[in-house]
Amino acid sequence: MAMSRARKKTVFEVGRYTILVIWLLIVAFPMFWVISTSFKPDHEWFAWPPVYWSQEPTLNNYLNVWTDYSEYEDTQYIKSLQKPWIALRNSLIISLTSTFLAVGFGAILAYGVSRYRILSETRMFQLLMLRMVPPIVVVAPLSLYYSTLGLLDTVIGLVIVYFLTTLPYAVWMTKSFIDEVPREVEQAAMILGASRWRTIWEVVLPLVRSGLVATFLFILILTWSEYLLALILSKTEVVTLPVELSKYEGSTEGRVYGRQAALAVGVTIPLVIIGVFIRKHLARGFSFGMVRR
Amino acid sequence: MATEAAAAIPGEIRAGKREMTQARAVRRFKWSVLSVFIALMVGVLGPVLFLQLYFSFHDFSIYLGSWWDAEFAGLEIFEEVVTDPRLGIAIVRSVLFAAGSTLGCFVIGFGLALLMYRPFRGQALFYIVFILPMLTVPIVIAYTGEMLLYQKGPLNDVLSWISGQDVNVIWLANARMALTTVMLLEIWNWVPFSFIIMIAGLASLPKEPQEAAQILGASKWRIFLEIQLPLLRPVIILAIILRFLEAMAEFPKAWSLFQGGPGSATETIPIYLYITTWQYFEVSKGAAMSYVVMMIMIAIVLAAIYFLRREKRALDEMYGAADEDRAG
Repeated sequence: MAMSRARKKTVFEVGRYTILVIWLLIVAFPMFWVISTSFKPDHEWFAWPPVYWSQEPTLNNYLNVWTDYSEYEDTQYIKSLQKPWIALRNSLIISLTSTFLAVGFGAILAYGVSRYRILSETRMFQLLMLRMVPPIVVVAPLSLYYSTLGLLDTVIGLVIVYFLTTLPYAVWMTKSFIDEVPREVEQAAMILGASRWRTIWEVVLPLVRSGLVATFLFILILTWSEYLLALILSKTEVVTLPVELSKYEGSTEGRVYGRQAALAVGVTIPLVIIGVFIRKHLARGFSFGMVRR
Repeated sequence: MATEAAAAIPGEIRAGKREMTQARAVRRFKWSVLSVFIALMVGVLGPVLFLQLYFSFHDFSIYLGSWWDAEFAGLEIFEEVVTDPRLGIAIVRSVLFAAGSTLGCFVIGFGLALLMYRPFRGQALFYIVFILPMLTVPIVIAYTGEMLLYQKGPLNDVLSWISGQDVNVIWLANARMALTTVMLLEIWNWVPFSFIIMIAGLASLPKEPQEAAQILGASKWRIFLEIQLPLLRPVIILAIILRFLEAMAEFPKAWSLFQGGPGSATETIPIYLYITTWQYFEVSKGAAMSYVVMMIMIAIVLAAIYFLRREKRALDEMYGAADEDRAG
């Protein structure tokens, strides 16, 4: 029996929403679990059957992680921790600085490539190798080199590697925005007598501003969540948030899920806000000009 | 004053001269930008690659005092590395892991993109929720995984509730399951990546060929297979290649959940390199090993870049006419 057109459409709609809702649940469940765990008192962390909604929700985990308040002040794991505020400050300084440098320098380079082809297409693709060859293959000699220079465990050391590893994305992404500004606009400004720098500053820059912001936030996400380089190149002084988070394991008390969850929520929220804010530009960050509009 | 002087010169010569100064200005701009970059590369990557080469040929571990006193070992270390079965297994494991998670990400991401690229009620909400895993710090995903996956844990509980039977998967402690567990977490983490690229690709496809085929009476399935899929090829290749490369380098989840274990079940290339250098402190072996791995990765990346360029050139040709119209 052939289905009518309308009937077919309904079946399709029902199927679509079913699949989407299933995936929605798969995505949401782990997130729900972290958030829920961050409000649980310690006897509910490992309870069986698992506790989904805490019977006695508490803010202790958050207070414990983010303030001086501690109900376990004397235990080993609390003593071995830096307060996350220091890690937060390090993370902010390192990721903002390196991202700012990468996007600033990347945008200048991208402008040159877009307008004067100062890098051939071959060179532009070779640039990608900085990102695509995994950093683990050079990080051992790098850490020795850094320790010779005194850059190990410093902000500058991490900023340099983050700058180099995110530069390819910065150049490609800003170039895709600059390419969209028609040359005629610039030519018109120059015919009207504006100097080259004034043209760039007052004509091109405002047109690509939102693109630069999107690139900035995109790269901020990458550096904020970086783990391996931060783990190896920083030891005690400039620990970043992801590394700080990994310190909540392996102490004599076992895992402290509630506090880990409370910190994890704090680490993730800025990225989620940023990501949702630039969601329309995310694809462009990864697509190297291959997704056209 | 300069303009007055310039005005005195006949038009043609002036234009020529301006072009020359323009070319010189561009050159100066080019080298002042590039010199910064090149200086940084030479200053950072140069010594690093030299050190790596040095350690590959000199027997050194941190117990042996200063690195510049290390003994020359010739090709011995390389020989040890190349004949090390553990490295071979780690490479195979990495490739399996990367291939499996890439396939998973791509199939799910593309499927979701196909369901979602045309406007429908709730599109924005689903889109925002679906990109969330990509925005979550990988190390957070690892610890979340651990909270969910221990044997008497919430995931097994939920699976039991759904299936109505007692589900008791040993996600973390079972050597045969461990790599799959990391793979599932990697897929959960990066489905959004394939999803956003594929949905952007689908949305950017030209409408005319599809409409033409529809008018000619082609079925939806045939339009998909014979029009959309070929047009999407560059985007598909992009999504697969980038994901594969990133999965080859995956470290935070595998490391913080398993440290290579149980046994050596999750010992991928990055993990084995890390263990060699930072747990066994065999700096020389680590250096020689990373040399081998680096060469393999460079070969893979060069192949990847070759494919990406080929696709991009095809795209540029396809859109070239339109761009030229715009450029006038």
